[in-house]
Amino acid sequence: MVKGKKLLVLLAVVAIIALVAACSGGNKGTANEGKLAKISIFQSKVEIAEQLEALAQQYTKETGNEVEVWGSVGDAYITQLQAKLTANQGPSIFSIGYGSEAETFKSYYYDLSNEPYVKDIAPNMALEIDGKVVGVPYGVEGFGLVYNKNLVNPADVRDLDSFTALLKSFKDQGKNGFSLSQEAYFLIGHILNTPFALQPDPQDFIEQLNSGKVKMAETKEFQEFARFLEAIREYAVNPMEITYDKQMGDFATGKTAIVHQGNWSYGMLADFGELDFEYGMMPFPLMGNDKIAVGQASNWVINGKAKPEEIEAARAFLNWLFTSETGKNAIVNEFKFVPAMTTIKADNLDPLSQAVYDATQSGDTIPWAMNFFPQGIIVNDLAPAAQEFFLNPGMTGEQFLKKLDEVWANAVK
Amino acid sequence: MRMKNIAWYALFTFPLLFIFTTVVIIPFVIGIAYSFIEWDGIPANPKVFVGFENYVALFSDQRFLASAGITALFTLLSLIAVNVLGLLFSLMVTSGLKTSNAARTMLFMPNLIGGLILGYIWQFIFTDAFKMIGETTGWSGFFFNWLLDPQYALIALVVVFTWQMAGYTMVIYIAGIQGIPDDVLEAAWVDGANAWQRLTRIKFPLLMPSFTICLFLSLSGAFKIYDVNLSLTNGGPVNKTEMFAMNIFNEIFGYGNYGLGQAKAIVFFLIVALITLTQVILTKRREVQM
Amino acid sequence: MSKVWSRRILEVLLVVFAAAYLSPIYVMLVNSFKTRLEMYENALALPSRLTFEFYAEAMKKMSFLTAFGNSLYVTLTSVVIVVILASMTAWMLVRTDNWVSRVIFLTFVSTMLIPFQTIMMPLMQVMDWIRSTLQIPMLNTHEGLIYMNVGFHAGMAVFLYHGFIKSVPIALEEAATLDGCSKFGVFWRIVFPMLRTITVTVAILDIISMWNDYLLPSLVLSDKGLRTIPLSTFYFFGEFTIAWNLAMAGLTLAIIPVVIFYLFAQKNIIKGIAAGAVK
Repeated sequence: MVKGKKLLVLLAVVAIIALVAACSGGNKGTANEGKLAKISIFQSKVEIAEQLEALAQQYTKETGNEVEVWGSVGDAYITQLQAKLTANQGPSIFSIGYGSEAETFKSYYYDLSNEPYVKDIAPNMALEIDGKVVGVPYGVEGFGLVYNKNLVNPADVRDLDSFTALLKSFKDQGKNGFSLSQEAYFLIGHILNTPFALQPDPQDFIEQLNSGKVKMAETKEFQEFARFLEAIREYAVNPMEITYDKQMGDFATGKTAIVHQGNWSYGMLADFGELDFEYGMMPFPLMGNDKIAVGQASNWVINGKAKPEEIEAARAFLNWLFTSETGKNAIVNEFKFVPAMTTIKADNLDPLSQAVYDATQSGDTIPWAMNFFPQGIIVNDLAPAAQEFFLNPGMTGEQFLKKLDEVWANAVK
Repeated sequence: MRMKNIAWYALFTFPLLFIFTTVVIIPFVIGIAYSFIEWDGIPANPKVFVGFENYVALFSDQRFLASAGITALFTLLSLIAVNVLGLLFSLMVTSGLKTSNAARTMLFMPNLIGGLILGYIWQFIFTDAFKMIGETTGWSGFFFNWLLDPQYALIALVVVFTWQMAGYTMVIYIAGIQGIPDDVLEAAWVDGANAWQRLTRIKFPLLMPSFTICLFLSLSGAFKIYDVNLSLTNGGPVNKTEMFAMNIFNEIFGYGNYGLGQAKAIVFFLIVALITLTQVILTKRREVQM
Repeated sequence: MSKVWSRRILEVLLVVFAAAYLSPIYVMLVNSFKTRLEMYENALALPSRLTFEFYAEAMKKMSFLTAFGNSLYVTLTSVVIVVILASMTAWMLVRTDNWVSRVIFLTFVSTMLIPFQTIMMPLMQVMDWIRSTLQIPMLNTHEGLIYMNVGFHAGMAVFLYHGFIKSVPIALEEAATLDGCSKFGVFWRIVFPMLRTITVTVAILDIISMWNDYLLPSLVLSDKGLRTIPLSTFYFFGEFTIAWNLAMAGLTLAIIPVVIFYLFAQKNIIKGIAAGAVK
């Protein structure tokens, strides 16, 4: 009896270990007759996750090829991508940002130069590395001053003086004229883009800044930028008290007249239901700037280190996405992107996306220079400096610029 | 006989050791190797051997050194708060009060909320609730948005960490208290020991194993804190609440300095291991063998 | 009389305090019923209407039943293996007091101090190596995740068992050995039943941390059908926007099973103690 029980326990332990070690569920990459290999897609925009899954099902229905869509919370995407690539478990198609992020992962991209839809990408919008087209943009996005048309007339916001005067008058009325919010990109990343974008050659300017040849504190666009921030600190609600949720809530309820945001914020505004005013987007008037900042949301790339049959199937999927009616329709109407392909018609856009689309069509845009900032600098260095500026009323704009120069030099080193 | 004992020893310990080695030890050793290399963490990109350069560099990294100080302070405060509260809770809920079972579950619940969302929930409390209380009571010197003040933001982290961990240590203290044989306590009672004497002379010495465990767990938990740090303060304001783990994570994944981040992790590990093992050895000595 | 009254007051105070202690959970619950506008207006007020639409929506988006099944399988299997292996290991380490045991014990304990973030990349490499050379599918399978869970929770379980095994009288074991019981028999028939309290403690603590874990599963599992509960809530967490009502509803749904488990386990501990007193 005792012996039997012993044996049983021993067996159980061995069985469990064996189960864990050897239980095999290998069902990967089985290509059925006539069908393409199963592919996986991993991308960073949580907002389109469900729509993408639905589109993948549609694709399977139309072509019989299988697509698995992975998911990740928004701010953990890059880390997870890196881990999966490290483990040779990379997705067949994934998304990647511009500039330094795209540069980091460049050894993984499959050359898309000869794909049929590449010629349809709007000018200067394709992700090119070493002269090859490696990524296709999701769509374009733009940011600037999102304003309440009942409260603000764009003609009144032309330069530093008129901007300051407007903030003052709102403050006197007990309203908030303008708001930034505390998240790193919304606090400093996007708004700091403007003085960079206004340089004759932003990318060159960033390189010179990296090597210490120029200083923000000695450049006139930045000097005026600092005065804008001083005005914001003096006449508007402290951005450190405002989260993105609160910022858009205040805007939706008419408590804030202008927010510095992009067309993506429409999704948030829509959550607040029908608004009783119209709104639009106008440029941030630094040095009289009259253009909104437009860039590429993110890019689809194919993992060049995937199995050849997987690459084949991934190419077929992207081709379908950008050329079939179902795919093109999904990009505009399901993902709600402002298309970056000349072959995709944009109608029914929300007011903010419409402003971005119009600017793109007329060419009245400034670039997203921030894509070329050193990796991680906005969150790790620039945001803390901006927090200090907004929390410490004794810090002058000039000191703030010096601080920015200092943390920049430190991050580059 | 000796061979047989060794065989039994191996049979009992080998399976777990094997799993543990492949999952923890080997990756850790590989991590040590990476600390001598300059690399951005992308497998396909070049790795350059730089010797001890990363270790030299981290000692001139002001932000890393600052985060070391912040982490030490945070850990000390949390250690005290978590264990005092946890012990108090466990004594309360084992005192035989009618409501103690309900209270025990309620005090334990915070533990069930893991990770990032915990920090977000507390954000509402520190920003919205505190502001509201401050405005209605007029005590705005205490009830204001703690997350905007460097010192109070750190205290806020201690509060949240304690809130979560106290129930955790409570579970372990309860197990310890219930392990104390009733006859020992009854004998003391018969001998005329009062409640305080029973607590300090009998319960505390017998709880030494629980103290060892709880101190160690709260110490290592506090040193490694990341999720709450990220979601509650994200290191702010002005980097004044950036702890070790967050600094290391940012170095590896934010800046893409894999080797330097690993070097920081190794130094961090050595410091913490030294402190906590000293603590474990010290308290273990005071444990009473039955 | 006064003693009874002071006891009453203590009882009430205890519950009041415990309720106040739960105020963050109140924040979670009320906001699982609010729209974004309602929450913007007042995140602390009671919801204006009690509708479970966000729960229904969260369940649907998360594929709750599948995710629940996955979480249950991964967590329970991992915990059972951890309890079996760690208790055996800890017992051997306590009862064989030599330098090997001490080194092994300190290794288990000290590795609890390694922040997971610093070994996750090498871990992925090791698992990939096992996968590609030994053909054992460690990645994108539940079993691989269970294996890693066991490894990561080994240290604490051994540590907890180690502390409590010391208080188990060795005399019983010696008697059983003289009766001809093998080490296996001694452990499973004599020692393990006496470790009941600490076993329940280890199980509770491990279940909670495995049930809530996001990072490790997110690295190991990719396919939608494999997602655990925390993984399946990703739909609600954008980079800047969080769908608070769905996130809070999802979280509430996720912790209900653990609360039930804890209530059950708590009764079990008390029973265990009662049984122990009789022995």
